Amino acid sequence: MSLRTARALTGIYLLAALVAVTWPGLIPFARVEPMILGLPFALAWIAAWVAGTVIVLYLLDRVERRYRDAASGRAG
Amino acid sequence: MEQWVVVTIIIALYLGLTLTIGLMAGRKQTDSVAGYVAADRSFGLLVMYFVTGASVFSAFAFLGGPGWAYSRGAAAFYILAYGALGMAPFYWIGPRIAALGRRHGYVTQAQLITGRFPSKTLSGLIALLSLIAFVPYVTIQMRGAGIVIEAVTDGHVPLWLGALVAYGIVITYVLSAGAMAVGWTNTFQGIFMVVIAWTLGLYLPYRLYGGIGEMFSQIAAARPDLLVPPGLDAAGDPWSWGAFTTFILVSAVGLMMWPHLFMKAFTAKDDDTLRRTVILFPTFQLFLIPVLLIGFSGVLFAGTPPSSDFILPFMILETDLPAIVVGLFCAGALSASMSTGDALLHASASVAVEDGVQQFVELSEAAQKRLMQGLVLLTGAIAYYYALDPDSSLVQLLASAYGIISQFAPPVVAALYWRRATTQGVMAGLIVGAATAFVFWQNPQWKPFDMHEGIIALIVHVPVLVAVSLATSAQSDEHVAAFVD
Repeated sequence: MSLRTARALTGIYLLAALVAVTWPGLIPFARVEPMILGLPFALAWIAAWVAGTVIVLYLLDRVERRYRDAASGRAG
Repeated sequence: MEQWVVVTIIIALYLGLTLTIGLMAGRKQTDSVAGYVAADRSFGLLVMYFVTGASVFSAFAFLGGPGWAYSRGAAAFYILAYGALGMAPFYWIGPRIAALGRRHGYVTQAQLITGRFPSKTLSGLIALLSLIAFVPYVTIQMRGAGIVIEAVTDGHVPLWLGALVAYGIVITYVLSAGAMAVGWTNTFQGIFMVVIAWTLGLYLPYRLYGGIGEMFSQIAAARPDLLVPPGLDAAGDPWSWGAFTTFILVSAVGLMMWPHLFMKAFTAKDDDTLRRTVILFPTFQLFLIPVLLIGFSGVLFAGTPPSSDFILPFMILETDLPAIVVGLFCAGALSASMSTGDALLHASASVAVEDGVQQFVELSEAAQKRLMQGLVLLTGAIAYYYALDPDSSLVQLLASAYGIISQFAPPVVAALYWRRATTQGVMAGLIVGAATAFVFWQNPQWKPFDMHEGIIALIVHVPVLVAVSLATSAQSDEHVAAFVD
């Protein structure tokens, strides 16, 4: 994946996360049922977006790292 | 042995250990300003992770979080929602700030901003606004520490004494060892409070309701409105979506603009450490889930605490836990309070000297360090004075502090990403933004859609920054090239 695509996808995920945990994105999910792991649905929904951020940033880092290594390889 | 004696012994052990770690850490540090303020730019991943996490999770998270969940229900979900969003952009911004810090010797946020936008007045203004936001924040940490100690020792150790001892220790290690002590004590305190939070957060729902799902089912049956966002306001009426959304927005924007967190970018050993800290930060954020569980477990619990901020110590005492658990809980809460308080005291003194005084009076390195240490003491004393005042409406002040702090975001972004920004533009934006936040904080009835004053201020701030920048003459290309790629 190119660096540009990886950054764009990360940006899209973060924007989506912002909408998902605030008005109006949260409205359809602002309910108690179905409970997930014993948590009200809205709480589990927000927690899932937070956990997803770790995965997305990790994947972004893998791409960024490859490009940094390539750049320093050229410089060295 | 009586319970409060056991509890007091555990607290004393915890405080002694913290002090030892703080004093030991400082021995590795050079006797310079970069050493005192930025720990010689030496922090690895473990310390960076906990220094960031533990500085963010303050007494507000540990005591206020359960308090919100208990009294305002789903409104407390906002605390979980903003952190990851606020931190993520620092994957890119953090290493750029750090690189500029290494190149130009910056150790504070204002140095970075005024490096790009040279102005002594701007530097002084940033220092002043930072201090206005800091004092109520430190005060809340101290009061939190005092409240916990007083509650769990049955009043044998009163608030004034508990806060004095806990913060006497904080001030001792901050004075002697600066950033290095803050880093290593926060690592210890961070591990401690995560373990305590998960333990209590899982234990209390099981003990009181027989399980987490069981707890929420019972709450949903008894109080169906409580668990549905945006939850309730402070008076118990339904909260507005406008307020819920803008609280998340202003907290996300403001989070990393707090000078004590922003400055952490200058303490990292290298860029990879910074990036990994950002990637891992949301895992620390999830530690708010057990904190919320603790608060929710109090909802159907018989008895009412004196105020919702007391829910955690109140429940701990009411549920008849072994003394050792009460003691450990208390140490966890102190960890949360002290690990934020130390970073705040340290940053406020560094900012006041580097960005305030030093701009107008030439000082030697030794004099700068002495002055910082004097200011740590002074800030601590002012905060202590307010911490003892039961009527001070500091929770209100803290909410407004985010309004001020979030106004640092446009100058930082402009400094790093916008070539055409000018000193006059940044200055005008900052003044108008801070003034707007103040006016709407004083007159909440004017707020459109119940929005947080910080967001209203940003909506005014950004156009002013852009318009005044475009109306004034651009900075020279060579100057800008050092900051913008």
